Amino acid sequence: MAGMCCEVNLAETETSAPVEPSSRSARRRRMEIHQFNFVPTDSAVAPPLETRGKRKRQKFDAVVPVLQPPRKCGKAARSCEEDDEKVNNSHLPGEVEPEKKQLRLPAAETTPVSELDVARDCPKFGMTSVCGRRRDMEDAVAIHTSFAGANPNFPSGMHFFGVYDGHGCSHVATRCKDRMHEIVKDELQTGGSSSWERTMFESFLKMDKEVGDWCSGGECISACRCELQTPQCDAVGSTAVVAVVTPDKVVVSNCGDSRAVLCRNGVAIPLSVDHKPDRPDELNRIQEAGGRVIFWDGPRVLGVLAMSRAIGDNYLKPFVISEPEVTVTERTAEDECLILASDGLWDVVSNETACGVARMCLQSRKPPSPPRSPGNDMSVTVAGESSDKACSDASILLTKLALARHSTDNVSVVVVDLRKSS
Amino acid sequence: MAASDQSKDACYYQEWMNLQEEELSELNQATNGCTSNVELSSLIDKIMSHFEDYMKQRTLMARADVSPYFAPTWCSSLERSVLWIGGCRPSSYIRLIYALCGIEIESQLTEFLHGVRLGSLGQLSARQLSMVDELQRKTIREERSLSTRLASLQEDLLDNPIATMAVAASGGGGGGGSSDNVEAALDKHGHSMTAILEEADRLRLGTVKEIVRILTPRQAVDFLAAGKKVRLCMQEWGKKRDLDHGRIN
Repeated sequence: MAGMCCEVNLAETETSAPVEPSSRSARRRRMEIHQFNFVPTDSAVAPPLETRGKRKRQKFDAVVPVLQPPRKCGKAARSCEEDDEKVNNSHLPGEVEPEKKQLRLPAAETTPVSELDVARDCPKFGMTSVCGRRRDMEDAVAIHTSFAGANPNFPSGMHFFGVYDGHGCSHVATRCKDRMHEIVKDELQTGGSSSWERTMFESFLKMDKEVGDWCSGGECISACRCELQTPQCDAVGSTAVVAVVTPDKVVVSNCGDSRAVLCRNGVAIPLSVDHKPDRPDELNRIQEAGGRVIFWDGPRVLGVLAMSRAIGDNYLKPFVISEPEVTVTERTAEDECLILASDGLWDVVSNETACGVARMCLQSRKPPSPPRSPGNDMSVTVAGESSDKACSDASILLTKLALARHSTDNVSVVVVDLRKSS
Repeated sequence: MAASDQSKDACYYQEWMNLQEEELSELNQATNGCTSNVELSSLIDKIMSHFEDYMKQRTLMARADVSPYFAPTWCSSLERSVLWIGGCRPSSYIRLIYALCGIEIESQLTEFLHGVRLGSLGQLSARQLSMVDELQRKTIREERSLSTRLASLQEDLLDNPIATMAVAASGGGGGGGSSDNVEAALDKHGHSMTAILEEADRLRLGTVKEIVRILTPRQAVDFLAAGKKVRLCMQEWGKKRDLDHGRIN
């Protein structure tokens, strides 16, 4: 057992070792590590800064935050042991600021995205999905980079991110996880829909139909709780928030109360609006269809379902519909990240806080760790993956925050790095 | 005989609770001082082996007479009311992890948002969290299957042969079948109850072991200390409530 402990310990030292009594010294240790990195990275950064070549610039942007004169860096590296807190507090904001500007600059200078740039444009992401305080796991997450294959319109491919929060049972959410991206792909390739709105609309409809047919067909074996027994099966559904990220757009389609939030220059911009039964337009729609919203532990369609749209839930049709609301957002150089999450997060964490947390994680992860001298017990990540690590840090921290704030639901969080040059 | 069994059970339990207090102060000392990981690990090993010994001994005693372990008279009403098959629900250990990891995060969030680099926010790393999550799902599955088996055993009491003997009993329960038959039937039922108690204990022990493996030694020490604290507090609060309501044991 002790051996196992050590093994875990080694790999996790960086994130888990510091505990309350030693957090200050641990932080100092971390600072040492970061400061230490300045020396090697600094020399790597210097040339592109001077040449100002656009292409090179992109490549090196990942190490930009170490933009300090070498002299100063050296000093910091030496002095950080003595005045850890001061170094920590005073240097960090200073680091963050130039980084932001640097990030904005190249994109402003960059001419329309060339094919070469596009090829590099595979966003980094992190995902965390836990059962939390629920005894059943009904959330599902699907991530498929370059999911649409070789599309003439998008040679670099598009990237698919979906969060599904099931209710009643897990099988509709699981089905969405397995199938939604394929349906969207088919729709893109053969559907001939003229717009993103149309494409996503058709896809969600097909997904919903598939779930309905699948349940009533009963041909499948399911490992879920309800074992697909009708009629229980009819009272099962799932939210779906799907983001398709292309080189220049973020297309978010939503059905239910999961949510997508864009973090742009520190500002939280919701890209979907929750479908709650008491949302005035939704309330209207339900009433016009002949349904009622009854307050029973919050507003519920027919007193049952606490959301006004969902995939599945045949028994609540036509009041609960599977039609998504689609937003198409042009990506800008100021975009930092996209957060998709189930209500396990959003019930207890505001959009603003979530963005703040994700952003700090992305920023504090730069620069990527270069090879280090031996004897350093920090877990070594491959340089190219460090941004991924940052996204994972963000998704896990948000999940932990949700648990800390006593979220009683499953918690699923996806964080996608949207910084163009990262 | 019965009375002496009970006092033996109660004594053993009291010894165990005393040991909890000792261990808690050891754990507290370990967290306060700058104990090395190796020392922490050996402390954890020691505590885990105590736990294992306790489980073994308790199994032996339960084999002699299992019923009190499902409703122990040596516990307060509060403690008895939250028992799951003679002890703590194994999945609740994971709740304790989440509770502990939450205490820190909230207090450090503001600092973090202002750009202070923190390595220990909530302490649990991504890998640990996913391992804890997996363990939670597995534990809940096993809990469910044990609960289902317990349900069957409870239902068995109102079925053949026990129910028939009771129905056949003339009057207020004086007779009905030979008392040997009744004893044999109840003993048989007791054996099944003992088996399920043993499995529940195994699940409890296995879950704690797994948690300790997932956590770093320092985290594990915090976790064990918190667990013991909760346990001791429940006992104290439960006793007080019993007194307040005039229940004297």
